[in-house]
Amino acid sequence: MELQSNIIETRNLDFSFHPGVPILKDINLQVPTGSIYGFLGPNGAGKTTTLRLLLGLIKQEQSSIQIFGQDFWPNRIAVLKRIGSLIEQPSLYGHLTGRENLEVFRLSYGCERIRIDEVLAIVGLTDAATKKAKEYSLGMKQRLAIAIALLHEPDLLILDEPTNGLDPNGIIEIRDLLRNLNQEYGTTILISSHLLPEVEKIVTHLGIINEGKLIFQGTLPELQQFKTAALTLAAEVDDPIKATTLLSGNFTVIPTNGQLHISIQNKAQVAEIARIWVQNQINIYQLNLLKSDLEDLFMQIVNN
Amino acid sequence: MSTFILNTRAEFLKAKRTSVMWITLIAALFVPVIDFIICLERPDVMTQRMQPGFWLLYLQFVWKNTAAIIVPIYVILITSLIVQIEYRNNTWKQVYASPRRFGDIFFSKLIVINTLVISFFILFSLFFVLSGTAVGMVNNAYHVSDYPIPFAEIMATAARIYLGIIPVMAIQYWLSLRFKNFATPLGIGMGLWISGVVLIDWDKIIYYPYMYAPLVFFSDFGKHPEKLPQLMLNSSVCFLIALLFGAWNIRNLKEKG
Repeated sequence: MELQSNIIETRNLDFSFHPGVPILKDINLQVPTGSIYGFLGPNGAGKTTTLRLLLGLIKQEQSSIQIFGQDFWPNRIAVLKRIGSLIEQPSLYGHLTGRENLEVFRLSYGCERIRIDEVLAIVGLTDAATKKAKEYSLGMKQRLAIAIALLHEPDLLILDEPTNGLDPNGIIEIRDLLRNLNQEYGTTILISSHLLPEVEKIVTHLGIINEGKLIFQGTLPELQQFKTAALTLAAEVDDPIKATTLLSGNFTVIPTNGQLHISIQNKAQVAEIARIWVQNQINIYQLNLLKSDLEDLFMQIVNN
Repeated sequence: MSTFILNTRAEFLKAKRTSVMWITLIAALFVPVIDFIICLERPDVMTQRMQPGFWLLYLQFVWKNTAAIIVPIYVILITSLIVQIEYRNNTWKQVYASPRRFGDIFFSKLIVINTLVISFFILFSLFFVLSGTAVGMVNNAYHVSDYPIPFAEIMATAARIYLGIIPVMAIQYWLSLRFKNFATPLGIGMGLWISGVVLIDWDKIIYYPYMYAPLVFFSDFGKHPEKLPQLMLNSSVCFLIALLFGAWNIRNLKEKG
């Protein structure tokens, strides 16, 4: 694997199916090598379109997409040889067995036959290999689709909502599998989702897209930093009305369940608020910084 | 080239356990069986009709309905069914996201369709021989064993009708790739074929690809020997144009899969 820092880079990626109706606007995706990159966004945000562009399923030869340090379109075959993908629903031939499905793609990828047994073992489908794919449960189909994506030992996995429709056990299985692939084989994984709690548990990096615009990109701690504007200070004081008046103009204060919820930019503002109140003889009984989980942050970013 | 061969093997594997094999077998078997039954049931009429010589007259008899109806319908149906394997299983996106050239994807699948069509012609010719032989075994009045089986004529007829049908295969292949709905290419194909049947006496019918296979069979080349090379040329040119246009058009589709 090359030592380039980003395995995927797009520069000012725009896309529209019809003139004047942009689907993607100025997307600058940067997926670090070796990362698990969560690509988040509500339905219709442009996640799948972005992933389809990355895989050449949407033709835009002028787009500036670099994968493995190479421009995608002039090097389409070489790049795709190193990518495993699962876009939306699993792509399986229902009338063929699990093993035959893998054989179809093994021939296309030109890898050794032994890889079929290896990937079946990785995804835990060895015993179901001779069953027709149409008889698989959704979780098994999802795992077989991932096995297909892993056949040629790709450096990069692009997975579009791979846990869609799975039960909690299925979700945990896929999550563990992806984490294992990343840690043991160094596979970079770009995974899109709108199921935030799932992504939160495995990703090292995040990109958040909304209405075709990438509104955040970075690590989880960077997201926390980025969203300090969403920090909420919960305060319990003896005179809430006076305390609210003292902060009005500088802070947004919302009375909630006998407490005051104050939106702040950073932790230093906690001290500033406390100082204002103490100087004005407000007794403070409790100050509590509410921890924002990723889902809250995500909703706040998207709704901002 | 080796990649193309491997991908073509993958395309053949996709057709495993589908109805296309059975349809090919049944389409090839249908008319020889029906005509065998007719010969057995109506010897009063058929023994006269199949003389002198039996085999060449029986060949004409068996190919008549096949060239006009079975071959066009079979090719229209089989082409749609092979392409539908991808649409039905939602697998186009995985095919296009694998490291395969667009030409490779286009032509490897076409080879599967073409192999099935050639298989149909081989099976049909085989069933024709078996049907004729069976007629002779069941009823001596046909004097089947008095005449040698005309293998050269059997192969020449099959080859000519095959050449007449390949433009339909190319056009239908392109239509099947363009339309996700199975009924659309099927409906268009059937519509064009029926229109051809209606227009069969039109003096420009030689430019209508869906009628080349029937024309190859029904034209009297004894009276108009120049028509056979003309039909073969038109058919080949139409096949090439449809194929190259189809490949170019599919390659340039904005969205694949």
